[in-house]
Amino acid sequence: MSGSPERRNEAEAPRRGASVSAKSRLAGALAGIVNGLFGGGGGIPLLLLLTKWARLEEKAAFATCIAVILPLCAVSAAVYLLRGAVPLADALPYLAGGLVGGAAGGMLFRRVPEVWLRHIFALFLLYGAWRYLSPAR
Amino acid sequence: MTGWLLPFLFGAAAGVLSAWGIGGGTLLLLCMTLLLGVDQAEAQGINLLFFLPTAGVSLLFHKKNGYLDKGVAKAAILPGTLCALAAALFSSLIDRDIFRKPFGVFLLLASASILLDKRVSQ
Repeated sequence: MSGSPERRNEAEAPRRGASVSAKSRLAGALAGIVNGLFGGGGGIPLLLLLTKWARLEEKAAFATCIAVILPLCAVSAAVYLLRGAVPLADALPYLAGGLVGGAAGGMLFRRVPEVWLRHIFALFLLYGAWRYLSPAR
Repeated sequence: MTGWLLPFLFGAAAGVLSAWGIGGGTLLLLCMTLLLGVDQAEAQGINLLFFLPTAGVSLLFHKKNGYLDKGVAKAAILPGTLCALAAALFSSLIDRDIFRKPFGVFLLLASASILLDKRVSQ
């Protein structure tokens, strides 16, 4: 990861905008590394950094994470495709379902309580932790 | 038919969670590897492809509803994309299993930090 000079003194940065922008760059970089290594999951460090460090509103952070992860996924997906690891035909039914679910989720987002979002998200993290930490594959 | 139906339904369910940004990809990976027997590497690739239309359509709604922080997104996308590219290329050269345990620990800490967050929920 290349160091960014703006990160120095950011605790004392007088202009909040510049500081948030530097935090966003670092958060994005970390998300990219996780996404590239694991084929997903980059949104996790991103969400944590955007809410707890850059202090975004929670729903804005969840939605903004999607916008940041989308191009990362596009890049990672291109690499996977070039390596021939993804038969496109097998992926199509998942993509069709994703379009339907993505639209439904987008419409419902305003009405979902934040505590639901947080708890469902945390449950997935716990499940992932168990899966990655358990010795049996 | 069932060969199409389950992936479609899992994709739709995961799509809702992906649109909310809370783990649709994890759900889909679990469904594929644990329930449908898809090979891990292929599942990861499908998962990445899945996110493109799913996130794309959800972002149309988020933008309309004012949930997108464009400044943050613009700042994060370039370093994120470059690092994703570098890490994906790097990961093809090595045994990714060595990252499993550290990532698991990170997930555990992340969930604890969210569940223990004392901020009042609206």
